[in-house]
Amino acid sequence: MIEFKNLVKKFGERTVLKGLSFQISEGEILFILGTSGTGKSVLLKNLVGLMKPDEGEIWIDGAEVQNYTENQYLEIRKKCGMVFQHPALFDSLTVFENVAFGLRKHYRLPEEAIQQKVQKALGLVQLSGVENKLPTQLSYGMQKRVSLARTVALEPKILLFDEPTTGLDPVTTNAVNQLILSLSRSLKTTSIVVSHDMQCALSIADRIIVLDQGKIVDQGTPAELRKSTIPLVKDFLSEVLELEAANG
Amino acid sequence: MVKQASFYSLMSEIGGALLFLREVLRTLVTKPCSLHEVLLQIWRVTIQSFSTTGMAGFFVGAIMTVQFALQMREFDAMGYLGGLATSGTIREVGPLLIAFMLSGKVGAYTSAELGTMKVTEQIDAIRCLGADPIQEIILPRFIGIIVSSFFLLGLGLIMSILGGMLMGAFFAGVNPEEYIRHIPTIVTFPSIISGLVKCFVFAVVLATICTYRGYSTSGGAKGVGLSVVKTAVATMVGIVIADWMTSFLGDVVMKLVLGA
Repeated sequence: MIEFKNLVKKFGERTVLKGLSFQISEGEILFILGTSGTGKSVLLKNLVGLMKPDEGEIWIDGAEVQNYTENQYLEIRKKCGMVFQHPALFDSLTVFENVAFGLRKHYRLPEEAIQQKVQKALGLVQLSGVENKLPTQLSYGMQKRVSLARTVALEPKILLFDEPTTGLDPVTTNAVNQLILSLSRSLKTTSIVVSHDMQCALSIADRIIVLDQGKIVDQGTPAELRKSTIPLVKDFLSEVLELEAANG
Repeated sequence: MVKQASFYSLMSEIGGALLFLREVLRTLVTKPCSLHEVLLQIWRVTIQSFSTTGMAGFFVGAIMTVQFALQMREFDAMGYLGGLATSGTIREVGPLLIAFMLSGKVGAYTSAELGTMKVTEQIDAIRCLGADPIQEIILPRFIGIIVSSFFLLGLGLIMSILGGMLMGAFFAGVNPEEYIRHIPTIVTFPSIISGLVKCFVFAVVLATICTYRGYSTSGGAKGVGLSVVKTAVATMVGIVIADWMTSFLGDVVMKLVLGA
């Protein structure tokens, strides 16, 4: 369904992605883990056309998309909803207007249908009753959930999450992780989650890819990753294993 | 080597700003933005600079009157004081003053606002949600700055005439009636056109630089701060260069039109 072939992305002299190749199947929850600066977010931005790769190919549903124009990418962005690292809500718009923004731009729907879709999306992230508030009147965790609702409202086939739990407290982190799992299963979407959170990856991912310095160092199911001998993967696992040992 | 790198960097910035301006103008023609958003920006820019422009206009009129009065007293031509002071203000000082005022307040504000939207991924979000950021957020601000600068020019001129009239009466002994009597004879149609053209060009320079700098911000809070500083410096330099160019080209055009 989605395939990256030898993807290379450079920023000046620095090569961030060094020939990445992998596939993602329909309905799969894929976690991409790695330390900061390894090109995880860059990978997602290349997928939705916010950045262009220097070399390589990106295939979505059988179409090679990396050379698409901005207008052609609009169709890709209807399929691929992206939840950013920051909530990225529009400060001057209410929660309702933020969630309705994409619906108004992508589809020409009557106002009644937009209202229904906004209510449904806010219900999915358990945030009913805040429609008329401004983003600045909400907590950071709530803003992240509104951002998720804004993306989910478009009912995309592919959901991209860029560090969805960064900066959240443990309770909200757990809630967001469960939300990713339930949304992916209930809406039958393909999900790609970029994260540092190995614990979350082990609990909800179908497959995990570990990146280091722009290359894949290991990949597999959570059970396979637990047996990995790669030092970076073991570093990621150590904290989780310690926690599991402490909890018996 | 360092000088060469700085030169390339400067050329790259100028090239980037011109390409950005081309994109904004293309969007203006092909994908017009929301009228409501444009009116909102005009209102916001005008209100932000209303009091400072009015006050500055008042004192500029007063200063021009004092300076002209010192010279004209020797020629016993005080009756022309109001006309000359107003002509100088509308042709040169008014548009320049408005541009500097807007540069300090609106230019820095717009650059910081857009820069923050860029580093917090709001601009990427707009693209992902199926909209064009140039159409949605740049174009309304661009048009808002240009249209507002004309309103503020009008306000500045009215205030400068008031300031000049007051100073004329107290400092030079010219009564208000006499002060404004020669304004229509000295402030000619070409003077007004010159002032309006300058006002427009300065506003375009300011709007281009501040929206481009904000839109191309990177590097978090530090990047936003850097963009604001670059906007402040680039707009001041850009406006002064644009002033020289419009004066020079204006002179050439006037000679061609009037055959002088």
